Amino acid sequence: MTVTVDGASSGDTGARVALHPSHVAQTWAMSKRAIIAMWRQPSLVVPSIVFPLFFLALGTSSFARATDVPGFPAVDSYLDFAFAGAIVQGVLFGSITGATALATDIENGFFDRLLASPSTRPGIIVGRLAGGMAYGAAQTIFFMLVLLPFGLTIKGGPIGALALVLSGTLLALTVGALMSMMAMRTGSSEAVQGSFPLVFIALFFSSAFFPRETMNGIYATFADYNPVSYLVEGMRDLVIEGLSVWALVRAVLLPAALAAGAVALSMRSLNKRLAAS
Amino acid sequence: MTIAEPQRTHALNTTRTSIAAASVGLATRNLRGIRRLPSAFLPALLMPVFQAIAFSGTFYAITQIPGFPTDRSINWFLPLGVLMGSGFAGVGIGLAAIRDIETGFYDRLRMTPAPRASLITGPLLGAVARSAVVTTLVVAVGMLVGARLSDGIIGLVPTYVAGLGMAIAGTGWGLGLAFRFGDMRAAAIMQLTLFVGLFLSEAQTPLYVMEGWLHGVARVNPFTNVLRLARQGWLGEVTWDNTWGGVLALAVISALTLWFARRGLDKLDG
Repeated sequence: MTVTVDGASSGDTGARVALHPSHVAQTWAMSKRAIIAMWRQPSLVVPSIVFPLFFLALGTSSFARATDVPGFPAVDSYLDFAFAGAIVQGVLFGSITGATALATDIENGFFDRLLASPSTRPGIIVGRLAGGMAYGAAQTIFFMLVLLPFGLTIKGGPIGALALVLSGTLLALTVGALMSMMAMRTGSSEAVQGSFPLVFIALFFSSAFFPRETMNGIYATFADYNPVSYLVEGMRDLVIEGLSVWALVRAVLLPAALAAGAVALSMRSLNKRLAAS
Repeated sequence: MTIAEPQRTHALNTTRTSIAAASVGLATRNLRGIRRLPSAFLPALLMPVFQAIAFSGTFYAITQIPGFPTDRSINWFLPLGVLMGSGFAGVGIGLAAIRDIETGFYDRLRMTPAPRASLITGPLLGAVARSAVVTTLVVAVGMLVGARLSDGIIGLVPTYVAGLGMAIAGTGWGLGLAFRFGDMRAAAIMQLTLFVGLFLSEAQTPLYVMEGWLHGVARVNPFTNVLRLARQGWLGEVTWDNTWGGVLALAVISALTLWFARRGLDKLDG
C-alpha cells in the first residue's frame, strides 16, 4: 500500500511522493526527539501542568459556594465543574511550548539541517505534532490521576475518561498545528510565545471556568461564539452528567474537525516555507 | 620645527555624585527603556487590564453569593489588576537589571562614583512611575467598563497607595533576586512568587466565601490586607480599619525586600 503526501523527500519540494517505510521511521524519530526534549527540559513543560492544577485548587476553595448561584449546573463540587477547563488550559499552554521548540529549531538552523538531509518533509511537522499529542494525552491522564484522590468524579465512567484523553490529545494536535503554522510563517520563537495572550483570551472569554448561563452582556456573547466554550462543555458533560452522544460530539468530533483544518493549514505553511527555501 | 600645542585637559571630576542626582538619572534611563524596548513593558501594562476585565466577566456570578460586598464584579477585580500590574512593574525592574548584568552594563555602573544606594533607589523611582501609569490605565479602562467608586474620588487614594507599595516591594524582590542569580533563572522565580503570593489571598473571593485550605492560608497572607486596602474605595467607605493593616503589610514587605536587594548588591560587589 502506498500513501502519498506532499514533499516527502529532499529535492522534491511540493511534489507528491510515495510514503516509504523509512519516512515512518524518520517521523517516529522526530516524535521521539520532541518528547525527549520535553523530558530533558522540565522547566519548559512544568508550568503547563502546575498552573492549571494551581488554579483548579484555588477555584475549588474560592468558588465552592458559587455552585449554588442561579445558572450553575447541578454539580458535586467546583472541582468536577472546572476539571475540563483545567485540561484545556494545560493543553493550550503545553502546545505553545511545542511550537516554540519548532521555532527555535528554525532560529538555530536545525530546521535547515533537516532540509539539507534526505529526510521526510512532512515528518518534521508530523513528528513534532505527534510529540505534542503524546504530551496532551499524558497531561490529561496525569490531571485525572492527581485529582481523583481529591474527590474528582467522572460520571461518564471509564469510557468518559477515555473520551477525555482522546479530546485532550486532539486539542493538543489542533493547537499544536496552529502554533506550528505560526512558527513556520514567522520563524521566530518570540512570535510564537507572543501568541500566549491570544490563547489566554480564548480561554478566559469562554465557559472554561464558569457556565455561560451566569455571564451577562458582551462577555456572554463572546463566550457564545467562542469554540473553546463548546469544546469545554462537551468534556464537562462527560464529567458532571455522564455519557451522551451530544457530549461526545462536542468533546471528540469538534476537536477532530478543528484538528483536520489546523493540520492542513500547517502543512500548507510547511510547503510555502519549503518553496521559499 | 613646530611645537605641538599642549592638549586641553578637563579637570577630573572627583566630587561624589549625589544620591538624588544618580537616582533620577537611573530612573530616567529606566523609563527611557520603555520606549526603546516596549515589548518588555507592554505585557505588564496590558495584562492587568485584561485580567481585570476577563475575571470580572468570567466570575460575574460570584456577586450573587449572599453577602458579597458589591454587585459589580469589576469593582472587586479592578484593584487586583492594579496590584498585579504594579507588582509586575516592580519585577520588571528586576528583569531589566538582569539584562544589564548579562550585558556588562551593571559592572560599568558599579565602577562609577554613584552612591551604591542609588543603584536601588533609581530603579525604584522608575518602578513607582511605571506603577502610576499602570494604575491609571487599569482604573480608566475599569471605569469605562462599569467600575464605580463607592466613596468618591478619595477612594482612589488607597488604590494608588497599594499600587505604589506593591511596585516598591516588587522592585526590592526583583532586584534582590537579580543580584543573587545574575541571569534569567531569577525571572521565573520573581514572577511566580509574586503571582502565587497574590492569588493565595482574597484575590478571587472574600474570606467568608472560601472553604478549605485556602481560607487558612489567605487569612494569614499579608496580601489579603493589601487587597483590602486597595479595594475599600470600590466596596464601601474608606476607613482606618481597612487601611492600617495593608499599609503596615506593605511597609514591612517593602523594607524586607529592599534590605534583601541591598544585601544582594553588596554581595555582588564582593
